[in-house]
Amino acid sequence: MSTENPYAQYHVVKKGDTLSKIAEEYYGDKMLYPKIFEANKDVLQDPNKIKPGQKLRIP
Amino acid sequence: MRIAKKFVAFTAFALVLAACANQKEPAEKAVAQVESSLAEFRADAEKYAAEELKSVDESVTRLKNNLAKKDYSAVVTGAPSVQSAVTSLKDTVAKAKIDAEAVMAAAQAEWTDLSTSVPQLVETIQSRVDTLAKSRKLPKNVDKATFETIKTDFETVKADWSAAASDFAAGAAADAVRKARAARAKAEEIHAKLGMNS
Repeated sequence: MSTENPYAQYHVVKKGDTLSKIAEEYYGDKMLYPKIFEANKDVLQDPNKIKPGQKLRIP
Repeated sequence: MRIAKKFVAFTAFALVLAACANQKEPAEKAVAQVESSLAEFRADAEKYAAEELKSVDESVTRLKNNLAKKDYSAVVTGAPSVQSAVTSLKDTVAKAKIDAEAVMAAAQAEWTDLSTSVPQLVETIQSRVDTLAKSRKLPKNVDKATFETIKTDFETVKADWSAAASDFAAGAAADAVRKARAARAKAEEIHAKLGMNS
């Protein structure tokens, strides 16, 4: 049984967000967006398709 | 008259000898009893009340010295207070053992929590530090100097956690908890500096 990590950081997608923008906000580098995509493959199928309200883990 | 005096002296000497002989067995029994009582909890006494044990051991040694000198009267007279000291020490050791076990149980309960939370923090921070190390530019909330400090402090956290885990594996739960608490506090500080609390 895996327990949720209480120290993990999350981002709730807002209107106009892209993975690149989120990567820039948290990492300072938009080119690191694949990190976020890989960590959220259970909810994302395409890095270009994120929806407002989605809760993404920021590794 | 002279014969009568000799008879009295002889009788007195015989009585003293008889009295001594009468006290030999009780004296030996008393010393054996004291030693046997002390042997029952000596190992715990060495662990939980070493100073008090030393004092009782000195009393027992005096008793045994008197027995060796055939001063049975001194042994029989002194044995009750030594036995009383042994009984008192036994109570002290029992109480100290209960207290130590309670402290150990609390440390083990806290360790259960720490052994979950510290690795979670370390894993989370490690991932972010690795990612930021590859970033061409740091996020707004982390400047270069801060990031360098974070990396150094994080190495300390990992070393402290490793030492805590080794202590716990070696049975030193209290030391393990103290080191793990320090590691978690430092890790939470780093977590906040990285802006990961939001």
